Amino acid sequence: MTIAAETAPDPRREPFQPSDGRWITLGLGAALLIALGLPLVVALLWSFMDPATGWFAPDILPPSYAMDHWQWAAGNDSIVKALGLSLFIGVCVTVLTGILALPTAYALAKLPFRMKRAVELFVLAPLIVPGIIVAIGIGTIFFRLDLVFTIPGVILVQTVGTLPFMVRVLAATIEAIPNDLINAARTLGAGPLMVARHLLIPLAWPGFIAGGLLTFVASFEEFEKTFIIGSPFVQTLPVILWTYLGGRVMIFPTAAVVTFILLAPMLVIFFLAERVLRDDVMASGMGKL
Amino acid sequence: MSTIEINDVAKTFGDVTAVAPLDLKVGDGEFLTLLGPSGCGKTTLMRMIAGITLPDRGSIKIAGRDVAALPPERRNVGLVFQSYALFPHMTVGANVGFGLKMRRVSKAETTERVRAALALVDLEPLAARFPRELSGGQQQRVALARAIVIEPDVLLLDEPLSNLDAKLREHLREDLRVLQQRLRVTAIYVTHDQAEAMALADRIIVMRAGKVVEEGAPVALYRAPRTRFAAEFLGQTNVIEITTSGTLPWGDAVRAPAGAVVSIRPEDVILRPDEQGAGRVLGLSFQGATVEYRVDLGGTEVRARDTGTGAPILPEGTTVAVRLNAEPHRLSDAPVRRLVSVP
Amino acid sequence: MIRRLPHGLVATLLVLPAGGYLALFFGLPLVLALLGSFGIYTRGDDGGFTLRHYADLFGTQAYRDGLMFSSYLAIVPTVVSLAISLPLAVALGQTFPGRRLFNALYKVPLVVPGIVAAFIVMTLFDRGGMAARVLAPFGLDLPKLVRDDWAIGVVIATAWKAVPFMTLIIGGSLGSIPKDVLSAARTLGAGPWAVFLRIKLPLALPGITAAFLLTFIGGMGSFAVPNLLGPVYPLPLSVHMYVNAFERNNWGLVAAMGTVLSLISVAVLLLYYRATRSLRSAYGGEHR
Repeated sequence: MTIAAETAPDPRREPFQPSDGRWITLGLGAALLIALGLPLVVALLWSFMDPATGWFAPDILPPSYAMDHWQWAAGNDSIVKALGLSLFIGVCVTVLTGILALPTAYALAKLPFRMKRAVELFVLAPLIVPGIIVAIGIGTIFFRLDLVFTIPGVILVQTVGTLPFMVRVLAATIEAIPNDLINAARTLGAGPLMVARHLLIPLAWPGFIAGGLLTFVASFEEFEKTFIIGSPFVQTLPVILWTYLGGRVMIFPTAAVVTFILLAPMLVIFFLAERVLRDDVMASGMGKL
Repeated sequence: MSTIEINDVAKTFGDVTAVAPLDLKVGDGEFLTLLGPSGCGKTTLMRMIAGITLPDRGSIKIAGRDVAALPPERRNVGLVFQSYALFPHMTVGANVGFGLKMRRVSKAETTERVRAALALVDLEPLAARFPRELSGGQQQRVALARAIVIEPDVLLLDEPLSNLDAKLREHLREDLRVLQQRLRVTAIYVTHDQAEAMALADRIIVMRAGKVVEEGAPVALYRAPRTRFAAEFLGQTNVIEITTSGTLPWGDAVRAPAGAVVSIRPEDVILRPDEQGAGRVLGLSFQGATVEYRVDLGGTEVRARDTGTGAPILPEGTTVAVRLNAEPHRLSDAPVRRLVSVP
Repeated sequence: MIRRLPHGLVATLLVLPAGGYLALFFGLPLVLALLGSFGIYTRGDDGGFTLRHYADLFGTQAYRDGLMFSSYLAIVPTVVSLAISLPLAVALGQTFPGRRLFNALYKVPLVVPGIVAAFIVMTLFDRGGMAARVLAPFGLDLPKLVRDDWAIGVVIATAWKAVPFMTLIIGGSLGSIPKDVLSAARTLGAGPWAVFLRIKLPLALPGITAAFLLTFIGGMGSFAVPNLLGPVYPLPLSVHMYVNAFERNNWGLVAAMGTVLSLISVAVLLLYYRATRSLRSAYGGEHR
């Protein structure tokens, strides 16, 4: 009598009838195709619409294709500038957030101190208050400091939103470093800075990468705070996209092109991150409040 | 009759053979121990009996039923984990009663059976506590109660005591044995601790790298092992290769031809200080109840062990005469083979 | 010899960078907003303490409806997303061919900005959008999904982004349940459904509620997507905030709106802590 063998070599996953697996693949695959594949294909088609013929109902495919919108975008100053600005701000925000978050994450992870819970909650607070309120609130202060409509202003306001995640992810990663390792290093003569350099940073690296990628992505696609503080002088890609979509006339093809310009670096980072990141690191940072 | 019959069962993970094809029969009420080093396949075998892992081939019968098609929840096995695996969000009482709840036992009967099970492991007053509040030993006893309350066909214990400290381990070990005999439930116990295996089992199966090396009752297995692996794995032994037929390296006679391998237990090597002795003490280790010696005998290093408070401490360098208290036991060279073992 | 600083001082110094930053750029604006809602320290307000901004807020039909609508946008997409994410997270825990690939792909919406999600809904679900065109040959008519009264387009766009987020967090929670605990439940007689209801769900609850909370709050303050896809009336309170801030300069009213939205979020958070307190004390809030 034969017994159905497990299809996967992983002994730790719960076994169930292997035939069920195929149904899940089918269902999820279809869902993914419809929810993800379809929209992206449609957007792609819009970007190649020939302005001469347009693309109206009931056509399911554009009658003809042209590179016009892509060419226009490549030559368009404000779009190219916006891309550069988005990247620049993203990097700045990531670096700033990382520097600010590390010491605090360490304290939360390893040091016992009285106000710990309060600090934890406070660091999480920016997530509890809707972003637009934070933005408008900061706006009034920045107005007095002459930081509105400036790039540093946008960097500062975005950091408020990215700090909570970075601190959480870093704290979770540092917490996972066994105290004994740090103790061992100290008995061997390492002072705090050496411990940080040789132990903390190398061992917390996954947290850095996870947090850094999360932060960069959050900054790159951030709209509300940037819009409130920066617009109309500081235009990142999302802000530019908004002007194409929220205006009187919606220009789909242009919006489609800008969308892909927005998405391209994001998807590159995303697939890079998938190889490097571990789900549990990301989830652990956000899964507990 | 809760016997277990395993026929031609094997399991590989990728290109690693976790369990090579084996047959096994366990008798009703028997306490069987699967003994072996890490990675020998004992846990995999147990998990196949439980249904958590599916074998690549072969059949498993529990209490006469072929369980191949049955998921774990229908096999009526009680599994006690090394990590206890208590449900953290339920009280002790709810944990123990879980299996009964799944079997739709009435509330009244559940309460009574849970109480009885907790009384068996001496934890009745703790029924309302949460696992987090209990010590390791207490948690393990809850895990045990949870497994036995469902009156399983077989009790499977996966190194249940290895997370506990030594004294507690010994204590719980005895309790476990008493409990098993009282309940007369068939038990399969997985461990890498040979002392534990010998103390608990009716029969020991020694495994290594997925294969069964040897099996037998503890006394027979210890005193008359067939294989070198079993001889060295259970307790300590001196493994001596015979170069000259009929003679041990230090001259004494032995009933073995050249090329044979014999095993002499350290406790069977008796030392006596003697100026004309053939041996010289190389080193010693005082371990309380026993003193262990390393002795140079005709170029071979032999371990000896002496017990009792009256045992003299022979310092390094002492010349000693050696007498063997038992006949050196011959080990077979036979390669490992499939065993059809019947209790 | 290393001079040892007092412990509390070290902790304070370490917390200072992020803590101080947030105190300055987050705490302070909130305090100012709170004060401003009562007429103190606001531009354009020269009286002292006043309640007129709140009177304004709750007295105006448009704003009351806006508050209701914001709450609607907080609850409905979140519930819809949860209904999809929970089974999805469970499914991802199983073994099936292509699992790794799917595990990577489902997270794509996480890196897609909300505006793009709105754009996608526009191209697909608006009048004359792709969905309508595909269904037309079959004689099927799509109801109004963009700029409709039930804000279905907004719900779709929000859920599209929220589902991967929730699935990630809930999946993480489910994944951190020790395998032995699940095996124990099965050997005790629990079938897959019982294991889910009695073991997985309770133990994954911290992650589920955290995901719910974060998505809820996001919905409460959402601005761009409702603006693009939502009905003309009512507008969510966040849009009213924007209009009153940058077009009418009515900062006191803006502060009042912001404070009300924040208070609702905080109230939900406190409810969350209350509700999960018994769970968290029962098993220490974390399981290994």
